Amino acid sequence: MSTKVKNSDLLGASAKKKKRSASLDVRKARAGWWFVLPFVIGFIILYLPIIFDSIKYSFHEIRIIRGGGYRLEWVGWNNYYNALFKDPGFVQTLVSGLKQLVLDVPAIVIFSLFVAILLNGKIAGRAAFRAIFFIPVLLTTGLAAEIDQQNILQQYQSAGGMDDGSGNSSVTEIVSVMDVQSLFSNMMVGKELVQYVVDLVNNIFNIINRSGVQMLIFLSGLQSISPAIYESCSIDGASGWETFWKITLPMVSPMILVNAIYTIIDSFTSSSNKVMEYINNVYQGATGDGKVLSSAMSWMYFLIVIAAIGLVAALLSAFVFYQRRD
Amino acid sequence: MNNVETAPKVKKETKNKIRVEFERTPLLERLKAKFVNLYFFQKVAVYIFKFLFLLGISFVILFPFYSKISSSFMSPEDFVDVTVVMIPRHATLSTYRAIIVDNNYWGAFTNTLLLSLACAILQTFICCLIAYGFAKFKFKFNGLLFMLVIFTMVVPHSTLQLSMYMKFRYFDIFGIFNLLGGGVTEAIKVLKEPNLNLLNTFWPLILLSITGLGFKNGLYIFMLRQYFKGVPDELEESAYLDGYGVFKTFMLIILPLSVPMLVTVFMFSFSWQWTDTFYTRAFFSQSGPTLMPSIVKVPRSLDTSYAGENMYVAAIRNTCGILILLPLVILYTFLQRYIIQGIERSGITG
Repeated sequence: MSTKVKNSDLLGASAKKKKRSASLDVRKARAGWWFVLPFVIGFIILYLPIIFDSIKYSFHEIRIIRGGGYRLEWVGWNNYYNALFKDPGFVQTLVSGLKQLVLDVPAIVIFSLFVAILLNGKIAGRAAFRAIFFIPVLLTTGLAAEIDQQNILQQYQSAGGMDDGSGNSSVTEIVSVMDVQSLFSNMMVGKELVQYVVDLVNNIFNIINRSGVQMLIFLSGLQSISPAIYESCSIDGASGWETFWKITLPMVSPMILVNAIYTIIDSFTSSSNKVMEYINNVYQGATGDGKVLSSAMSWMYFLIVIAAIGLVAALLSAFVFYQRRD
Repeated sequence: MNNVETAPKVKKETKNKIRVEFERTPLLERLKAKFVNLYFFQKVAVYIFKFLFLLGISFVILFPFYSKISSSFMSPEDFVDVTVVMIPRHATLSTYRAIIVDNNYWGAFTNTLLLSLACAILQTFICCLIAYGFAKFKFKFNGLLFMLVIFTMVVPHSTLQLSMYMKFRYFDIFGIFNLLGGGVTEAIKVLKEPNLNLLNTFWPLILLSITGLGFKNGLYIFMLRQYFKGVPDELEESAYLDGYGVFKTFMLIILPLSVPMLVTVFMFSFSWQWTDTFYTRAFFSQSGPTLMPSIVKVPRSLDTSYAGENMYVAAIRNTCGILILLPLVILYTFLQRYIIQGIERSGITG
């Protein structure tokens, strides 16, 4: 009898406790909603209709009516059909763009990790180097990049054989293919690999430009590794090489996943991307109904982006190591 | 027992021995022992390699800027002279003067400054709010909403180019009028038409900024969320105990704490808006306010038809680029200290 009473008392107490804590949770949850409210409103009022319209337009033709307003004509899958089979360059650009991506993403991720490790270590003028390394990500975007792309001046001026952002200089390569080929010919590696390495070195400016944010993410990831781990490693006699593979790499592996995905998104959506350029040209060149074609193209492109991101995330997440934190 | 007593003695003895040994060996020998060995060489070699590598990359980054700056001071004669490399022989400011006067540089500067400042401040604050909400509060659909943020980051701009244009050209979506009320639209004075044309105004970009949908805002939210997750909960709890509300805590405790991170986001959003071409082209036409992209052209007063035309035109375009980037460089030199700090403090973990 008494135990029953006790039980019910306990139950009552715990229920009360639960209720109180729940109300606190609810209050905190409500505050959370207030914080994210701008995004929720914007998403519902601006973004969803924009997305919806974009999908809708890709199945329509648009006719702008003189005197304001526009009219839509349903054409079904016609735009997609036109983009895939009638447009002369779309499929070709898409395939070559994807190939470029497969080559670029590992290069950018590895390069930014490498530089981040260097910038994290003790070196003279570290602050100055850091300041310099973040210049491209801030300054060489948008308008400046556009000016650079159409720039022929550098070709004339770069006497030292530097690739400096003009990007289209066959005369001014840092490494000539012949040199590397003679170096690699004894190593029995394929011609494609040689070409890949040569391309990478000659595109170094491009790669630096595109790895700014990744460097930032890696740097902050490296900062969060406790120095005590490195200390105990060096006491145990581990070399720098071993420390890198056993400590640094597993600890930054979540950052690698994030960066790989970010790099894919960034290079898919940047305006210097070949496919994006092609779609933009279609958009700029067309009047009225042709603009819809670009919409259809970019939706197809977007689906491929999602597929690529899913694939990379699935592949990489098998190797990601998460440190248990108390 | 014996061991305990002798142990320090032995240690002292060896210590003395070492000192005696140390003093007996001449300085040269000592230096040799310290510096002439493989370990030291290896260390030095690695250090030199690191330093040279960083120096080389810095050179790759800075060299284009140098060549642009030097060519911007060259006079037309220098472009036909093959012997003029890197350093202008007939230095002149005429290119700068022509661009500033003819291409309405100050007009573009003021407009772009207003637009970029408005966007950057709004985006920094709004992204902070949103990121803080995602990082510190557990509510239903938190994960789902965050996925939506990532989704807005993933969708390419060009996909939405057409429909964004249409949205802001014929701005009459359901709800907006109900939400804002008639007063706001009357203030803009567009009731004559059934829908309002927001093109050639700052409104499209400001609306996108207020709702955290602006350029790369997904990235800012992601970065800030990771940063706020690293801020210890105890800080807020003690603020709550002292009677602060959630918003007061956010404004008075969290924001001042994260100034370096805020500056980083501000710098990103300011400079990306400053050099932006995508939104500027989509939302502004010739008849709209002069913005930075429209000053990139050959000024009227410069005569470019001569032998070195191609290079001269390229140099003029570069000079436009320098004039556009100059304010950003000045801003960056002032703010880079905070940005570096922001990087160091943002311990992102899984």
